[in-house]
Amino acid sequence: MSIAADPFTSEAEIVTGPPEPTGRRPRVRGRWLPATYLTVPMLTLVVLFLVPMLILLLISLGMGVGRAHSLWSVDAYTTLLTDPLYRHVAITTVVIATSAMVVQLLVGVPLAYIMAFKAGRFEVPLLLGLVVLDELNPVVRVYAWRMLLGRNGIINGALEALGIIDQPIDALLFNQYAVIVVLSTGWITYTVIPLYAAMKAIDRNLFQAAADLGAGWWTIMRRVLLPLAAPGIFVAVLLVYIPLFTDFAAPTLVGGTSGYMLGQAVNDLILEQGDLASGAALSFVLLVCSGLVAALAFRLARINRLET
Amino acid sequence: MTSRSRIGDVLALTLLSVVMIVLVGPIILLAVFSFNDSSIIALPFQGFTWDWYQRALADPDVRDALRNSVVLAAVVAPLCVVLGTASAWGITRFRFRGRGAWSGLLGAPLIVPWLVIGVSGLMFFAYLRVQLSLLTVGAMHIAVTFPLVTALVASRLVRFERSQEEAAVDLGASQLQLMTRVVLPQLAPALAASLIFAFAWSFNNFEISFFNGGYQQTFPVWVYAVLRRSDNLPIVNAISTLVSALQVAAVYLLWLLIRWIGKKRGSADNLTNLVAGGLR
Repeated sequence: MSIAADPFTSEAEIVTGPPEPTGRRPRVRGRWLPATYLTVPMLTLVVLFLVPMLILLLISLGMGVGRAHSLWSVDAYTTLLTDPLYRHVAITTVVIATSAMVVQLLVGVPLAYIMAFKAGRFEVPLLLGLVVLDELNPVVRVYAWRMLLGRNGIINGALEALGIIDQPIDALLFNQYAVIVVLSTGWITYTVIPLYAAMKAIDRNLFQAAADLGAGWWTIMRRVLLPLAAPGIFVAVLLVYIPLFTDFAAPTLVGGTSGYMLGQAVNDLILEQGDLASGAALSFVLLVCSGLVAALAFRLARINRLET
Repeated sequence: MTSRSRIGDVLALTLLSVVMIVLVGPIILLAVFSFNDSSIIALPFQGFTWDWYQRALADPDVRDALRNSVVLAAVVAPLCVVLGTASAWGITRFRFRGRGAWSGLLGAPLIVPWLVIGVSGLMFFAYLRVQLSLLTVGAMHIAVTFPLVTALVASRLVRFERSQEEAAVDLGASQLQLMTRVVLPQLAPALAASLIFAFAWSFNNFEISFFNGGYQQTFPVWVYAVLRRSDNLPIVNAISTLVSALQVAAVYLLWLLIRWIGKKRGSADNLTNLVAGGLR
């Protein structure tokens, strides 16, 4: 678990072990040394990450851009939070993102288990395969699914050719299920690799010990594997669940009207309607939500670590 | 016990096969239909052709988009490796005031969704009245990509035996010598991986390129625009197949390189550690 609120401290301290009496290692010769390494990266983040976030917040509160005058108000937020249309879109988004996350965990936990303990010489090829999949372009992968599922797509074509159906099935594409499939396959690498990493750290002998003590297969999975793999589950949720909420290429390309998600709403507000304040407000709400999910995941991870 | 473990093996094999088909199948079909001699992508297969590849490579929009993406990633990736490695070193090897806050700031772009970062960039540049172009995309790519390199490199740094570093300092090595003679050679596999991954992250980035590119399209933005305008275009199949093949080759070569370095040094720096190490 190195990705934490302070992603680089926790592990550094665990690995270095008890602090040396002399303190710093390696010896620091000048107070300026950290600054030589950190000034440019930190300036980059302040200018290109923090300041834009601040401007996003100010614009959502009515700051004028270009020639427009500033009209400070929280109208953009009240509209968002009270409009039933946005509530509907928000519910769709939560349903789709949660389903995709659950699907990925249901597939990912057994897959990671197989990779870590059962795959033998196929372990590295499987890992390499997952990495390669992630290096492929995500928009191209969405397109591949659309090609399969469309009205004139390959699945319909194949079923018709086999005489199973007379009319192409329209229900394959442009609905929530298509979005869930596309999102689940698109993010699976980031779900499986943390799970795999957590399981890889488990001492295999624990399974044998549990079995020798009379635990059945299910008990071993539930009482030994899952608690020890839990940190990996939280990392997976952190890395995948948050971006699922804001995805907008997948729902735009395969979601149709019933799969309309918040990410698309941000895009439409800003680029179609030119309503910068509302678009910024919705982005900021998404930012706050992702912060909450992250905080929750960290909290759960910490509680879990104390228990196991 | 044996019959039970056999059932387990069968289940494992079934799961693996289904997952492979679902994950890889669409990409394979994408490639197969790039050779189909028909303007609509549907069965039955009409015969083999290279035509779509020729048309794709002759298309000015495709060429522009590919050139933009390659130039962008080629500039962004090395800068990200430098910034990411420097910040990883600074944050893992020194104790100083505000270290927690700075490492929090380094971690934040990994958690904030790219859509929000893309939109914030759009607003930022609109506020400053900066014309959107490849430059603005590149700036935002650097800001979101180098913290990923930091995470990757930092996860290696915290695992290093520090005795060599200490010995180098005790023997009077300067910071520059410490870096070039001791630290960077040991980091080589992680740096190679970071370079390839940073290139891919920039090349594949859709949200940030989409919001900050203005009229200059990168490859993913071009694919998205074509898909929104019209239905299945075999040209997209052709060029996507080509790009995907190169991406697969890049990762494979990286793996060979890491294995080669590992063998030469007899170190345990393998792919598993590199990819999974940062998340453990």
